[in-house]
Amino acid sequence: MTIDKDAKYDRQLRLWASTGQSNLESSHICLINASSTGCEILKNLILPGIGSFTIIDDKKVSNLDLSSNFFIKNNEINRNLATVTTKNLNELNTEVKGFAIEKSIQDLLIEENDEIFWQQFSVVIISDYTPKLNQLIDILWSKQIPLMIVNTVGFYSSFNLLTSETTVIETHDPSKLYDLRIDLPWEELQQFADSFDLDNLDDQEHAHVPCIIIFIKALQSWIKTHEGQPPWVSYTEKKNFKKYVELLSRNIVLENNFAEAVSSSHRAFQITDLPDSVKQLLKISKENPVTKNSSIFWIYIAALSKFLQLNNDVLPLPGTIPDLASDTKNYIDLQNIYKEKAKKDQKLFTEQVESVLESIGRSKDEINNDSIASFCKNSRLLFVTIGSKKFISSHFIEQFNHEKDQSKIKKYLIYFGILTFNIFINEHNRLPELSDLKEFIQLYNEKIDSTTLAGSDVKVFEELLSHNTRNYTNLNSLMGGVVSQEVLKLCTGQYVPIDNLFVFDGIESSSEKFKIEY
Amino acid sequence: MRDHSSVIPLLKTIGPFNEVADDYNYQSAWDRLSTSKILVIGAGGLGCEILKNLALTGFKNIHVIDMDTIDLSNLNRQFLFRHKDIGKSKSEIAANFIKQRIGEDNINIIPFFGKIQDKSIEFYSQFDLVISGLDSIEARRWINATLVNLSSSNNKIIPLIDGGTEGFRGQSRVIIPSFTSCFECTLDLMSQKITYPVCTIANTPRLPEHCIEWAHLIQWNIEFGSTKKFDADIPQHIQWMYETALNRAKIFKIEGVTKQLTLGVCKNIIPAIASTNSIIAASCCNEAFKLLTDSNPYLNNYMSYSGDYSIYTYTFENNKRSNCSVCGSLPKKIYVESYKTLQQFIEDIKDKQEIQIKNPSISSISGPLYMSSPTELQKITKNNLSKKLNKLISNGDEIVITDVNLPISLRLIVYFTSDEKDPELN
Repeated sequence: MTIDKDAKYDRQLRLWASTGQSNLESSHICLINASSTGCEILKNLILPGIGSFTIIDDKKVSNLDLSSNFFIKNNEINRNLATVTTKNLNELNTEVKGFAIEKSIQDLLIEENDEIFWQQFSVVIISDYTPKLNQLIDILWSKQIPLMIVNTVGFYSSFNLLTSETTVIETHDPSKLYDLRIDLPWEELQQFADSFDLDNLDDQEHAHVPCIIIFIKALQSWIKTHEGQPPWVSYTEKKNFKKYVELLSRNIVLENNFAEAVSSSHRAFQITDLPDSVKQLLKISKENPVTKNSSIFWIYIAALSKFLQLNNDVLPLPGTIPDLASDTKNYIDLQNIYKEKAKKDQKLFTEQVESVLESIGRSKDEINNDSIASFCKNSRLLFVTIGSKKFISSHFIEQFNHEKDQSKIKKYLIYFGILTFNIFINEHNRLPELSDLKEFIQLYNEKIDSTTLAGSDVKVFEELLSHNTRNYTNLNSLMGGVVSQEVLKLCTGQYVPIDNLFVFDGIESSSEKFKIEY
Repeated sequence: MRDHSSVIPLLKTIGPFNEVADDYNYQSAWDRLSTSKILVIGAGGLGCEILKNLALTGFKNIHVIDMDTIDLSNLNRQFLFRHKDIGKSKSEIAANFIKQRIGEDNINIIPFFGKIQDKSIEFYSQFDLVISGLDSIEARRWINATLVNLSSSNNKIIPLIDGGTEGFRGQSRVIIPSFTSCFECTLDLMSQKITYPVCTIANTPRLPEHCIEWAHLIQWNIEFGSTKKFDADIPQHIQWMYETALNRAKIFKIEGVTKQLTLGVCKNIIPAIASTNSIIAASCCNEAFKLLTDSNPYLNNYMSYSGDYSIYTYTFENNKRSNCSVCGSLPKKIYVESYKTLQQFIEDIKDKQEIQIKNPSISSISGPLYMSSPTELQKITKNNLSKKLNKLISNGDEIVITDVNLPISLRLIVYFTSDEKDPELN
């Protein structure tokens, strides 16, 4: 990356670093329908520097397009929508390549049945109603290309992410827990803890013992004096342990390290074990052994399983510690003990990855040390989800029928209303209006849920039909932001994306997310 | 020509959730869009988005204020600016771009290149609504206090819609002066700049940030005295900070001092992307649109958005605080250790989350205790700084804190605690 680029992208590099940025720069995003929402999404992706984008649309610029789309100029009425929006969006960042395809999706699906065309895209986005949607979904699903579908009608909107599987290593867990192994120190950490003789330190030294060391000592002597019982068994015992730590201090007002130990005692109660989410991953991995075509994520999981067998079921150590009240030397020594152990674990893990790759006949050259380091750092926090290619399922309808929360019911109805809105367009080739309410409800009963709607429920449909425009700039732009965030997460391979439906109510300014099961 | 075909369907029909359906009138909703005067504060990440949204939804009279010029690092999100605009006024370039794209006949948009504090009360009282997209807490407090003061002194209610973002997160809120909670009511909710204790920076650094702050807060003054002020926008200054911090880090065997981190710490940089600005600005403009047209009810009164782990939004009503120093009528209480001098007390309140006043002047019922300006008064009152606060006022006395840069008089009732000795001096 050049110096200029570092400065230009500074504010985003602080979120996903250069690894995320280079992933982003190699991505190619496809937009079907150059709607106002679609162009807003692309704006937010072109600015931070995706590699390229393609807009597919055969329509001509109408007055309505111009009225709501900032990326159309006043003199561009009647020109091809894909071409003008591609050109105008491309002005935002000259490093991004933009392509326009002046074809309808129907024609494209007939012509481009060769497999390669769709393969070039990292993510495909559809905004508003599109015919032949199911055919497109099948193609993209089979190629494991994520498809995002966003609809806005008046003050309402919905957004589906259709993808077979999402895996994230760098989840940037917001809980910021550190894996410190206070309950299970390895040899070097234990030795370091033993090197502190709390009773014989002078006051100055005593006030600079890092609280990790205080915890290790306190925990071990507590267990000895409590018949082998750790303090995290009950709330009372936790409180007693806190007191116990406080009493180790010579003066709690002056000793910041002990004050910190008391206020962060939750760190001492963190048990080193295998989280359920990791157990689940190992189970999936066991049931679906890796093959020559497995993604690197599943190769890592297979390697992790071997690693755990060799490492008493303890995950690789992330190796980072929080800032602790301490003098410089003790802190740096402690930090190095964690770093060294993390390196050792990484080495053992790398050997397992090599052995897995060998067993499926793939080259060791695939190994990337940064990626392995990142996996080891995050192995407690990995995210995996199996997606769905459906818009509704019987299970989802059942959930809706059992829902008691009025605010949630409303979000279901907004989503169902939007689906019905598109079914209506498909059947009538025009937007439904308030005078179509009766037919609209019939269509809903026929295609989505046959249960009779309550009067208050019908209100949501009335609202949709009263303000039946797909071109309300504020909602277009809001969803443009929401969807582009999700594309950024998928393309950088960082942060956890939505799974798998988001509904926004622009009247209450509230939202809900749902998961449609396969 | 750009018409309003995308806006008409939102106003033409009354929806079932409209709370003022009996009084609603299409024509007057339409008139309010075209005659309302809107002030946009900030032409940065949020401001660019706000201007675009207002222009496309039919607003015709817009003023925009920003004191900043365009920087290279803005171009990853501030989409009205290009490389050739670097160094020029944000508000002027933004206004020109919008006029050009929307058409001069369709919109009247007036930029002001300067500080919000430079404008008079009369200037602010001409607006029907203010939308702020600012990153500075001080500027947001200033405009909030100004609008709340206008509502109580002139009976002029100007709604303030405020947006803010940080990385994948953001929030938007609607403030109706004297009716809803105001920005100041929730000052303690704002995420605060991370600060490090001076003794850590000076004596026991552990993190790369500690080394950078040492260079920034201590070494710079030792090296250059008061002759040269540090400016994070001058590359040579940042280079000096980086090298100085790096040397210190080497001495203490601390890893991780980089130029990027140095810049981040010295400038207190908040990560920012176009996507989040798009979400929050659109939410603010959606509320402005509903509020001025009555087409649907508006947000009551706070929405937060978080996109870093799946998507999560939280919408709630923030309550007014009766001891808010801007919109409340009661003073706040503060507990002060008896050993504290006036100087120590001042240092404490500068950092306190719900106070945050940079250059406080303090008065009690019997007169000024300390005045930070003008110089004459500062000279007369500075002898008080070394005196213990409990020798200057009595337990339970009310004091008033002001700052020339903020239109706020903060009332505090002081209670002394029994700590007679400063633990630091043991």
